[in-house]
Amino acid sequence: MLATIPASVLAGITGHPVSVEVHVSCGLPTFTVVGLPDAACREARDRVRAALISSGVTWPAGRITVNLAPSGIRKEGPGLDLAIAMGVLVADDQLPAEALADMAFLAELGLDGRLRAVPGVLPQVRCMETDAIVVAPESAAEAALANGPMVRAPSTLQELVSVLRGEDVWPDPPVPGPANPLEEAADLADVRGQHMARLGLEVAAAGGHHLLMIGPPGAGKTMLARRLPGLLPPLDEATAIEATMVHSGVGLDLPSSGLIRRAPWQAPHHSASMIALVGGGSQALRPGAISCAHGGVLFLDEMGEFAPQALEALRQPLEEGVIRVNRATAAASFPARFLLVGAMNPCPCGELGQPGMCRCTPLARLRYARRLSGPLLDRFDLRIHVGRPEVSDLFDAPPGESSTEVRERVDRARAVARDRGVVSNSQLPDDALDHLAPLDPEAKSLFSHAIAEGRLTARGFQRVRRVALTLADLAGKGPPLTGGIVAQALFMRTEPVTVAHDPWSLANVRP
Amino acid sequence: MEAWLVALASLPAVGPARLRAMLAIDRPSELWTSLQGPPSPEIAKVAGKRELYEQWHRTAADLDVARLWTRHREYGVGVAALGTPGYPPVLCDDLDPPAVVFHKGDPQVVHGPRVAIVGTRRCTRYGSDVAFELGRDLALAGVGVVSGLALGIDAAAHAGALDANAAPPVAVVGNGMDRVYPERNRALWRAVADLGVLLGEAPLGAPPERWRFPARNRIIAALADVVVVVESHASGGAMHTVVEAAARNRAVLAVPGPVRSSASDGCHQLLADGCAPCRDGDDVLLALGMSGAETAPVDSRPDPGTVGQRVLEALGWQPADAEQIKSRTGLTMVQVAGAVEELRVAGWVAVSGRWIERVGVPRRTGSDQGPLNGSVKG
Repeated sequence: MLATIPASVLAGITGHPVSVEVHVSCGLPTFTVVGLPDAACREARDRVRAALISSGVTWPAGRITVNLAPSGIRKEGPGLDLAIAMGVLVADDQLPAEALADMAFLAELGLDGRLRAVPGVLPQVRCMETDAIVVAPESAAEAALANGPMVRAPSTLQELVSVLRGEDVWPDPPVPGPANPLEEAADLADVRGQHMARLGLEVAAAGGHHLLMIGPPGAGKTMLARRLPGLLPPLDEATAIEATMVHSGVGLDLPSSGLIRRAPWQAPHHSASMIALVGGGSQALRPGAISCAHGGVLFLDEMGEFAPQALEALRQPLEEGVIRVNRATAAASFPARFLLVGAMNPCPCGELGQPGMCRCTPLARLRYARRLSGPLLDRFDLRIHVGRPEVSDLFDAPPGESSTEVRERVDRARAVARDRGVVSNSQLPDDALDHLAPLDPEAKSLFSHAIAEGRLTARGFQRVRRVALTLADLAGKGPPLTGGIVAQALFMRTEPVTVAHDPWSLANVRP
Repeated sequence: MEAWLVALASLPAVGPARLRAMLAIDRPSELWTSLQGPPSPEIAKVAGKRELYEQWHRTAADLDVARLWTRHREYGVGVAALGTPGYPPVLCDDLDPPAVVFHKGDPQVVHGPRVAIVGTRRCTRYGSDVAFELGRDLALAGVGVVSGLALGIDAAAHAGALDANAAPPVAVVGNGMDRVYPERNRALWRAVADLGVLLGEAPLGAPPERWRFPARNRIIAALADVVVVVESHASGGAMHTVVEAAARNRAVLAVPGPVRSSASDGCHQLLADGCAPCRDGDDVLLALGMSGAETAPVDSRPDPGTVGQRVLEALGWQPADAEQIKSRTGLTMVQVAGAVEELRVAGWVAVSGRWIERVGVPRRTGSDQGPLNGSVKG
């Protein structure tokens, strides 16, 4: 007897429909799975057998062959367990085929017959065209996001079998539990002092400008960056779905509602490889940390310690908001529109004190500065120095503004940007700046001074202009950009490493 | 004779002491021959360690003395042995005169009053500004500026002297003249050789080894009539120069700095020990017995504005960061950021990383035709 059950597998963050064909015939009792299954998939045999026996159904005494069609693509993971179990029961006539008509199955089986959640439910449900889908209860909320098939979520195989035999009715979908309080982003009110960094975070959130924080160890760079997601507006519908697909695909925890609404936060360690950051892999292409940060914040602490190759790979996705990974056998593109926040020390010794106190030689500082390439550095619109807070600030200072207060201003600035047709000012095209952000004479002279000093390139000029526009939006000022605003934007883009004041160094002396 | 002397000086680990000890044994040419021959117990005693003597022996066997000599001639490096006519007269009766002096540039410029301007490589903006102004004002008054062409204070003093384009500067370097060290000062190095003179006791090819710099400092002290320490940490090369100067009865002046600045610790110790303070070029001229020139400072910087004035007052004369300025003035961070940037552009403050420093009145009295003119933002 033959049964065909619709199911799917995951490749990267896209689902591929798979038909699970099960054939039970007379012969010596065997159980084989064909159709390019990987190890986890082949082990389904043992799980399915044990789960069926535990659930009180008879294991067919015959020759069982399972084919996963199309047999050309590799099948990974345990998500086909349930579909194989159903196929065995239908092929062995223990379940009526009509009861399963147009119903897909997507869950891992426990040996006791329990249904377990698998990663990537959302993208897999989206690829299937069935009327109903059976998933584990934990996956129900995520599967429902697809707005496609009816979602059924029995907790055990036994329950499922009795429903399909008509002895019972479908159980109610599980009620989402209360939001995990730990999911609440950290609040800015916890930060004492650090007004420069607060301003940096606010401007970064309002304008979508990448932020580099430079400061000694212990200044609170990580603590500050951790508060940036709380300042960002909730993700829009499309971004939320994309972010959920990525998180689901790589097996990250999803919020209890299933959909990621709050800006994600990713902070890979500096030992991360290029593949771990941008995505890739030898078998199935997996999204990297930048895609997991889609719609949110990618925080790179100790930026100077990352492999240069890994950092340079960020440049293209930073511009395009998407990463295309190509391998000889496969290609995939993952969404990667994120706000990059970097943190580094000002020099190898951390520059604990004031000018004249740093123990590093100018050469050592220069070498440290060169760990970030010019093109990458140029993409940081905001480069601010963060100092250690004063002791008096830690104990006595009143708590600063809360994230909610700052977010109101951020939302207002983003609303202004939306009227210009972009999500945030960082995405404004260069040609639009001329009429959106005209410069008054004082602003022009500041810019020409900065360009003459060699502090700004042509691209840097436009980037500072966008930051100045964001500052004007936050202050509620209309065009043109004044000298004061431009000076603020220029101050927030300092040189990352202080090379000793040395105007007669080689670089400045005309040959 | 000089060719053999150069060859001896270019042996590994041969500094002033070893060279003097060797020359006490025999004449340079004889020494060289005996180095090539069977081991000489007298020279071995100078070497101290057997490995070093064997190294000398091998070098002496391989080195082509004539070629080394031609290289110096081709490179335009002059050589003068102690007691020969080209040797700087001021070094002849020094406590520890170099056995041989190399020079690039015109050695005749070592006459007239000279002042050594020395200090730390890890200087503040204040220190480098003062060194620059002292170098410029003293050169304008006809005083030769002597320094070591290191980073920081040394470079600023030389740049100031070159900016004046008046009295030729004298630089004393520790390593061979063909090896620019530090590399960042290459342009400065060339400009000093063109307008003044580079002096040293290391032959071509001598690397910048650590021990060469204290030896170099004694020559700086010997060449100068007055030594000015602009900024120095509690210990360092500048303090070593002071010790050498004291041994030679040279007057030492120290530039006061903020008492909390570690870059001025050495200067403050000198002041506490009784050195005269140096506030400007006139103090140095007074120490030299020359009359000070009247140079009224002209402040051509644009008005800082009301907010700018508040920031400047809150800043004082010690480095502060934006956070401190904010709490002292009560301005918002946005206002502080804008004001500081505008003050920086106008030349009122200097920003180095997180730190903001107030800049003194620039005294642009120098000639507009200086060799580094236009490239130096004083």
